[in-house]
Amino acid sequence: MGKKFARNFFILGTAICTVVFIWLTIDTHTTIPKRTHTDQLSEEVILGKRVWHKYNCNDCHTILGIGGYYSPDVTKVYFMRGEAWLKAFLKDPESPDPKRRKMVNFHLSEDETTRLITFFKWVDGIDTNQWPPKPIGEGKIAEVESKSEPQVALGKGVFEKYRCDICHKIEGKGGMIGPELTREGSKRDALWLEQHIRDPKSHDPTTVMPPFPQITKGELNALVDYLINLK
Amino acid sequence: MVYESQKVAIKYFVISAILFGLQVIVGLLLVSKYIWADPLIGFLPFNTARAIHTNLLVVWMIFGFMGGTYYLVPEESGKELFSKGLANLQFWLLLLGGLVGVIGFLFRWTAGRPLLELPVELKWAIVLVALIFIFNVFMTMIRTKKWTAIQGLLLGGIVMLAVMWLFGIPFFKNLTLDYYYWWWVIHLWVEGAWELIAASLMAFILLKITGIDRQVIEKWLYVEVALVLITGIIGTGHHYYWIGTPRYWLWWGGIFSALEPLPILLMVFDTLNHVRHRKIEILDRLVLHWAVGCAIFHFIGAGVWGFIHTLPVVNRWTHGTQVTASHGHMAFFGAYAMTIITVVYYALPKLKGLKQYNKKRGFLVFWITTISMVVVGLGFGVAGVLQSYMQRGLGIDFLTVQGFMRPWFMAVLFGGFGLFIGVILYIITVFQLFLKKFE
Ligand code: HEC
Ligand code: HEC
Ligand code: HEM
Ligand code: HEM
Ligand SMILES: [Fe+2]
Repeated sequence: MGKKFARNFFILGTAICTVVFIWLTIDTHTTIPKRTHTDQLSEEVILGKRVWHKYNCNDCHTILGIGGYYSPDVTKVYFMRGEAWLKAFLKDPESPDPKRRKMVNFHLSEDETTRLITFFKWVDGIDTNQWPPKPIGEGKIAEVESKSEPQVALGKGVFEKYRCDICHKIEGKGGMIGPELTREGSKRDALWLEQHIRDPKSHDPTTVMPPFPQITKGELNALVDYLINLK
Repeated sequence: MVYESQKVAIKYFVISAILFGLQVIVGLLLVSKYIWADPLIGFLPFNTARAIHTNLLVVWMIFGFMGGTYYLVPEESGKELFSKGLANLQFWLLLLGGLVGVIGFLFRWTAGRPLLELPVELKWAIVLVALIFIFNVFMTMIRTKKWTAIQGLLLGGIVMLAVMWLFGIPFFKNLTLDYYYWWWVIHLWVEGAWELIAASLMAFILLKITGIDRQVIEKWLYVEVALVLITGIIGTGHHYYWIGTPRYWLWWGGIFSALEPLPILLMVFDTLNHVRHRKIEILDRLVLHWAVGCAIFHFIGAGVWGFIHTLPVVNRWTHGTQVTASHGHMAFFGAYAMTIITVVYYALPKLKGLKQYNKKRGFLVFWITTISMVVVGLGFGVAGVLQSYMQRGLGIDFLTVQGFMRPWFMAVLFGGFGLFIGVILYIITVFQLFLKKFE
């Protein structure tokens, strides 16, 4: 093999691959309207995307798995958390726990918050080929740990994981949107609590508390145990 | 050094080393934010620091590449640079642009896209700098009597680098398309344009230190870059698995990117082969050390670490975790940081007309930085595997899992300190050479 051959290999190989890549790009473009629901890509969504850029949220959070790895991926956050939760969270994301990793409180305006949520809603609809994947061992840890650790401590962890503290105060720490839960155990029984957390609308159809269907059975048991013991 | 105008490269190398040092300091800050609650959140939160860390990285590497190019081009083309004035002007413009960018980040002046955080005005300013640079290099090259493959491919790499940058400038309304073209910058840079530049610079150095026939070196250079682009261009598809693009990318991206380590492996073989069949005694053992080490670390960081998570079955679980950070560090360091350091150790003494100087520290820098970077890479790597398993596999909450990863971030911090020491020693060497009187 001579240098000339090597050079021609370089030129031809690169040219062919570039053409194929451009062809794939064009084809990809034809699939975008359907896969990303461009009909729902409203002005409001675009404004939301601009807010997302304005505060450089993407260097802490990944979205579609790209960005900083410092905080949770937000691709499916609309589905996982729901509108009411997001509204409350974005208004005041700081957790009262000083050790917990913090998000900056940007003091977003009402408009900015709504737009961001609309943006998240649109992103949630993107067909990502089922990414992020469904966990294979869902909830296993919670159940395994529940035998070794006291349920109550575990339940406190669940309470923090789902950031219930955004809306509820316990022993002086937490938000004010929902009622204080410091004495919840003397007020309600386990069955009621379980029902309420799964589907708050079953008790009050107008409630702003979001349903938490994603809480696993093990987590829910621990959470209810924790609440019951608050007396 | 043969040509007077090569000397413009000196200041590029010096600034490149200083910015490298700053980048590493900000890296230490970043990983501290992973380990401890962040007292600086109000002034320098993680996102701002990350933007500074990665942009400093890109800027010091661009300075390094430009310095290397200005060193190489007169010697390859056999002509003085077209304009030293333009080379100097372009240096100051880039430095100014970089500084304004970093200071701007502190005041939230940003486009808010990872790695492409520079605001649009500054992105256009960078285009201007690139145009001056390309013009200067091109005008020098066209006066050459003989177009060598080394300078041709170097020019190709630079032009490709500039063209891809343009795709990072517009605002995209659709997040999927945003990231589709974002990768045309990021991926087609590091797995395309930059490989061309690095391979050309390395071929030039090997040519000089081994005395191997140009025909042989350039032939293999062609094969290397051919394979880089043949696998790398369509290999962009390994970033199109989960961003809203069609499923066929799992095949196109998976197959082509899985082949990307081949040219990198070839570079290792070529380097070792050229050294084995050297025609002249290799006097500069330090440069040899760096060149061979670079080829190997390039292969580990980009080839092996890249391959590990490039197939969709793996990437599905590791995408967007610390596994990616591990690979990003190992690859950038092995492929580009080490290339630039090799070039500086080769060119700077020559630019100063030094025949001999004490190289002991150069070897120390080699071992400290490479070992430290392995610690950093492994720290991020173990953290990433834990994260993929616990968060993605078992579905445990993000911040809970971060708690389990903490010891491994400590390892990163530890390795980071080592790296910091190595880089300080490197900067000291660069300054010592820089301040030496011309002999
Ligand atoms: C300094 C890094 C940082 C920046 C910048 C940042 N966040 Fe966060 N974000 C976090 C952290 C850390 C959490 C987890 C907080 C917790 O759970 O207590 C979080 C949580 C969230 C959540 C909840 C995710 C979940 O599933 O629990 C949303 C939504 C969110 N951030 C949106 C945003 C938006 C929108 C912006 C930009 C306006 C932004 N973030 C900027 C660090 C950041
Ligand atoms: C967006 C705010 C919000 C979030 C987040 C939220 N809640 Fe609520 N919650 C409320 C509001 C408001 C009420 C008031 C009663 C109603 O409207 O149903 C309430 C009521 C309750 C009650 C019943 C109190 C009573 O005895 O009447 C319980 C128990 C409760 N929440 C538990 C939880 C738990 C556990 C979580 C986390 C998994 C959670 N909440 C998250 C807003 C919230
Ligand atoms: C010198 C060459 C390389 C450099 C500098 C490099 C650098 C990087 C960086 C910085 C990222 C992260 C980008 C981000 O999301 O912010 C990345 C991602 C990635 N790289 Fe490389 N890379 C190189 C070569 C390779 C090769 C040869 C392969 C495959 C064989 C590869 C496979 C990947 C994959 C699959 C990802 C995506 C990770 C994810 O899904 O999160 N890389 N690379
Ligand atoms: C002291 C040493 C260093 C430390 C502690 C460090 C730490 C970090 C941290 C914590 C991040 C953020 C990752 C995230 O988003 O969560 C990061 C990003 C990054 N750093 Fe470093 N860094 C160091 C040195 C370097 C060096 C020398 C290079 C290049 C040669 C480098 C290249 C990068 C890149 C490319 C990214 C973006 C990664 C990605 O998008 O996946 N870093 N670094
Ligand atoms: Fe890539």
